[in-house]
Amino acid sequence: MRVFFAVTFVVLVGLSLLAWSIRPNVAEPGKTALTWVSDDNPARREQINLFNRLHKDLTLRLDPNNTGMEKVIVQSLAGVGPDLFDCYDTFQLSAYVKSGIAWDVTDELARLGLDPAKQTWKAVQADSIYEGRAYGFGNNVGADAVWFNKSIFDREGIPYPKGPWRWPEFIQLAQRLTHRDANGRATQFGFMCEWWQWLHFVYQFGGRVYSEDGTRCVVDSPETVAAVQLLYDLIYKYKVMPSPVEEAAMATQGGWGSGTITRFGADKGAMALGGRWWLCTLRDYKGLRLGVVECPYSVKRVFRGYGKGTLINKNSPRRQEALKFLIYQAGREYNQLISDQADALGPVVKFAYEPRYLLNPKHPEEDYNVVWRDALERATPDQYSPFINGQVALRLLNKQLDLVKNNQKTAKAAMRDAALQLNREIARGLEQDPELARRYRDITGRTAPGGAQ
Amino acid sequence: MTGKLRPGEARNRRDTVAALLFLLPNFLGFVIFTSGPVIFSLAASFTNWNLQQTVPFRWVGFENYGRLLADPEFHLYAVNTAYFLLGMPLAIAGSLCLAMMLSQKLKGIVVYRTLFYLPSFTSGVALMILWKALYNPDFGPVNAMIDWVTHSLHLSIAAPQWLLSTQNVLGLDVEKVGITAKQLGIGARDAIIIMGIWTAVGGNNMLLYLAALTNVPQELSEAAELDGAGPWQVFRNVTWPQLAPTTFFIVVMSFIGGLQGGFEQARVMTAGGPAGTTTTLAYHIYTKAFEEFQIGYASAVSWVLFALVFAATAINWKFGNREVSY
Repeated sequence: MRVFFAVTFVVLVGLSLLAWSIRPNVAEPGKTALTWVSDDNPARREQINLFNRLHKDLTLRLDPNNTGMEKVIVQSLAGVGPDLFDCYDTFQLSAYVKSGIAWDVTDELARLGLDPAKQTWKAVQADSIYEGRAYGFGNNVGADAVWFNKSIFDREGIPYPKGPWRWPEFIQLAQRLTHRDANGRATQFGFMCEWWQWLHFVYQFGGRVYSEDGTRCVVDSPETVAAVQLLYDLIYKYKVMPSPVEEAAMATQGGWGSGTITRFGADKGAMALGGRWWLCTLRDYKGLRLGVVECPYSVKRVFRGYGKGTLINKNSPRRQEALKFLIYQAGREYNQLISDQADALGPVVKFAYEPRYLLNPKHPEEDYNVVWRDALERATPDQYSPFINGQVALRLLNKQLDLVKNNQKTAKAAMRDAALQLNREIARGLEQDPELARRYRDITGRTAPGGAQ
Repeated sequence: MTGKLRPGEARNRRDTVAALLFLLPNFLGFVIFTSGPVIFSLAASFTNWNLQQTVPFRWVGFENYGRLLADPEFHLYAVNTAYFLLGMPLAIAGSLCLAMMLSQKLKGIVVYRTLFYLPSFTSGVALMILWKALYNPDFGPVNAMIDWVTHSLHLSIAAPQWLLSTQNVLGLDVEKVGITAKQLGIGARDAIIIMGIWTAVGGNNMLLYLAALTNVPQELSEAAELDGAGPWQVFRNVTWPQLAPTTFFIVVMSFIGGLQGGFEQARVMTAGGPAGTTTTLAYHIYTKAFEEFQIGYASAVSWVLFALVFAATAINWKFGNREVSY
């Protein structure tokens, strides 16, 4: 028996050594391999191929399986993180910085003549610049507008919409374009949007999530309540948008960009609130004729701007090589490619003002690129409070929005409870974190919300 | 006491050393990957450890435990976890019924046994996606069947919205621990329970009962039948007592599994919603640790969950064991 175990042990060691010796090379000889954790948008491959063509000494690979802030942080802290990773909002950026895994590249970029604060769109700076320091460079950026299906408009003899316009005008149009069968089941919706886009509505109603100084959650303000109420009314009062049940009935499974995009692409809706990046999917729908118009507005003609930045892992031994990817993102080739792929807009402002941006020779039918640029000019980035964990805030807000969406709670009650919960969370954070409490005191002159001077 | 070992003793010692050496790799693996992290998490539960490093790391004693006991979310998710246990008796009874049917000496019974066991070795994620489609409120086969039945019987009952609804058969409130008539109905929690019962009926419990049924002495049943006992009396007085050890084991394991469960369903089917109604303690631990980075607090929740599991098992052992005769 002893001999059996000893032989087994030796064989296993031998096999392990064999496996090690024939492991596949991550990069060709003489090349440095870089790993980029990003989403699996089909456009990403071409962006990587172009980078690899421009940098003969590097091999960039996509890792779509480890997206998610928690994975990136845990893996990077454990020493097995990627070289480059994407960041989608200021909270994520703050989390990466506070975790100690985001490399401060302000000085490196300055030496190369790059200044993201001056060169990139404001909406994407929130994903790469934190408290005045640059931790990456914008990857792509956009603001939403209203897509419309030209075939549906032509079929119904309705002229294409033109902006700028207001919500009452839009609702009338959406009602004309919503059709239901004898059982009341919608066969076509006038409008589609996702509830995670709720901030788009909030900003144009003049609402905010946090006070200007970030010390208080103010989603219970009349402006924010009115914005959530409009979202609710679009479903339950005007009945132009699918309810959660109707959404589930139209549900599609899998693939990048599924959900509202695929439902809209399948002629289930006449109009939809979305970004230019939808084209990465919608271009594949043969015969789909599209138009774009600026989103209707309420009090302010502003739109939510969003994007993503790419950061470098501070613990990566290939930081200098990874820096070349940020330089690549600042260049004409990359920005042109983003524009051609319609993966939103490139991060650098000046390239969107070149004639080439407005007309892609391969897609001359896309004559609406100016709408995206105009929307981005009016875009406001997401608000952020350093006094609360963004994931906790998101969970608490989503729960209340869920209740409104499911017709379980009024917008007013839900936003009141959300504000209470978030402010309670802020107060708790101040109790636990002396640094945060000091910062709060510096801003407000108080030690705690509602506390003594 | 000469210090010199006799031949037998020397051999025994050599064997012991060899055995320990062979056990060492497994033991090291256990210490490094199982007991080590468990002890580490206990220590972490007494700290304010946060992956974002905003707060200086320090020992906080029982602060995390105090916080979670006062945390309304923890109470809600503990109630959700307990609610999911409601399906356990049905699942166990179903497994027993199925095992009794599959213990018949019929032609092709092996095929039937395999078919019923299929869900147990099918990917859980695949099953959950399948059930998600079945529960589609408008076009899912489940509601199609309900609509057909209610329509045929001229009943004006709306089919449930399943995974989209916060309602439940006990009328549990969404935002606080309590009961409200508004929430009375069938919703996401019940949908997950039904799916759980379906998966469990033909699973390992059925196999355990099947094995136990083969061990019930045939002569006892025959003697009871000769004495005039009917099928129900034979089952009640002969088979059921003989199955008591297996039932006890299944109940204990189901309790443990139930208290620790709900993660995959929440992750794949509902993201813990709608409005947190399918968030269990296991999913709450994941959210706190890996989405909100509050490792210290999440560790405390883990240990409270462990205490709950331990207490439930001890109660089962204390009271359930009385009915067991070996």
